[in-house]
Amino acid sequence: MSDAVLRTEGLTKRFGGLVAVDGVDLEFETGRVHAIIGPNGAGKTTFFNVVSGMHAADAGRVFFAGQDITGLKPHQISRRGIKRTMQIKSVFPNMSVEDNLWITAKAGQGFLHPFRPAAKFTGIREKVERTLEQVGLSAVAGQVAGTLAYGNMALLEIGMALISEPKLLLLDEPICGMSPVETENTVQKIRALSRQVDIIIIEHDMEVVFGIADDITVMAQGAVLARGTPQAIGADERVREAYLGRAGDDALDEDEPHA
Amino acid sequence: MSRRAFERSIFAAFALLMLAVPWIVPQFLGSFWVSVIAEILIWSLLAASVNLLFGYVGLLSFGQALYFGFGMYGVGIGIAHLGLSFWPAFALGIVSAIAMALVSGVFAVRLTWHYFAIITVVFSLIFYFLFLTIKPITGGDDGINFSLPPTFTFGETELTLADATFQYFFILFFVTLCFWLMHRVIASPLGKALMAIRDNDVRASLIGLNTYVLRLVAFVMAGFLAGVSGALFALFGRYSSASYMFYHVSGEAVVWAIVGGTGTLLGPFVGTGIFILVREVISSQWHHHLLIVGVIAILIVMFAPRGFVGLWRNLVDRVFNGGKA
Repeated sequence: MSDAVLRTEGLTKRFGGLVAVDGVDLEFETGRVHAIIGPNGAGKTTFFNVVSGMHAADAGRVFFAGQDITGLKPHQISRRGIKRTMQIKSVFPNMSVEDNLWITAKAGQGFLHPFRPAAKFTGIREKVERTLEQVGLSAVAGQVAGTLAYGNMALLEIGMALISEPKLLLLDEPICGMSPVETENTVQKIRALSRQVDIIIIEHDMEVVFGIADDITVMAQGAVLARGTPQAIGADERVREAYLGRAGDDALDEDEPHA
Repeated sequence: MSRRAFERSIFAAFALLMLAVPWIVPQFLGSFWVSVIAEILIWSLLAASVNLLFGYVGLLSFGQALYFGFGMYGVGIGIAHLGLSFWPAFALGIVSAIAMALVSGVFAVRLTWHYFAIITVVFSLIFYFLFLTIKPITGGDDGINFSLPPTFTFGETELTLADATFQYFFILFFVTLCFWLMHRVIASPLGKALMAIRDNDVRASLIGLNTYVLRLVAFVMAGFLAGVSGALFALFGRYSSASYMFYHVSGEAVVWAIVGGTGTLLGPFVGTGIFILVREVISSQWHHHLLIVGVIAILIVMFAPRGFVGLWRNLVDRVFNGGKA
């Protein structure tokens, strides 16, 4: 049990009459890339929202590296090392690309010095430059983030996740809306990242999921339908029926499966 | 000349001009205009306090006059009722504004957008009516008049704000100090954190920023700026009045900040300068000078979202990039 990076017990989130996450017991082993798949409305993003503290759970508990983090505020959870990206790209649009990374690196460190010029924090400066190179955004470092091309914005988000030195990274549809080239590029970045940090990824693109995940969790209607290796999930009849669809084997290549 | 050198020389020229005001302005325009410029300096701090909240944290306050009023009354009550000397009264004004900002901020920054705007107005109205009612202390609408204790005493000689040149430099010093502090904050990690919250508060909390505490810090800092502004205005006018706590005053500061350019350091100063000059120049000739104020405000909001400072920057961009590209 101690090697579970994230564990939930009976995690439940209701929106009015709708049970978005329904008593989910999950354990994510450390050192593996986990994917969560499932039809739209299965509760995947809500699961992330509860884990990252954006929504309060109605019942159940969340343990991160063995510690109970249920009910903590988003910034407290973030400071413990769980970082996430958003399904809809979420950066600081009026700040430059480097400032986006700069404040992300600084935010976790507690005291925000009110009078010392930001430029004098050389350690963070260097980190920002290294991260810019890593994600390949050095050329647009000074550009205002809101004016970036979509693919670059997604890379910036990954850069922001990277520079914050996460212990666990929650990626919510990181390649959604990307061109094939951008997708290939991003998948490589994620694969490289997964050697340093635990990753849980929500993704609709089955090619991507089966390409990078070590373990797959299938959710449907707020509950866990199946878990297993990609091979086992690909062969699971219930999963095929509930999720991969009745269209047949070529559903594996579909971007947006229909629920 | 590089762009940086150009902007530096403009700034240096402007600084020299401000320092020379007590000698140049009476020669060409009359000494009345020295006090107009002093007044612009003072009010620009109130606009700066709106700008700190709206331009850097994304919170639109329509109640900054409350902290301006506390700065004013701290000085007025300090001198007239408590018999304080100059500096303790000045300090009392600033400290009361900060304290009030802390108390109301604890509630106000739980809200954002229009809810925040409304609660700031409500707070300022509560204290406006309260201060109108407790006439024995505040003098209500009439306010309290007081005579100024000396600022510095050297043996027999006293230096007071009655000396117009000294008063001008006294005001210039504190206003410059405040803008310099704000400049430092904007360039600091705290400043970047505030801008991150302005841009995207959900993301800001996900990277580990405590948005509530940071908004509160900004709110108290804005209260400090408004408080200094009010305290200076009380010393400048030798009186304190509840009428300056009305939301009308808060609203004016919002217009000044937006027209000058929110999210820019000196925008509030530019905006305040333009509107006070328009008022002083035109109101004596024409009764409807507010019409001009309104037209300027509407045009700026529609066509120049970053205000006059934004227009200026675009112009400078064009000149320098046009030369190269």
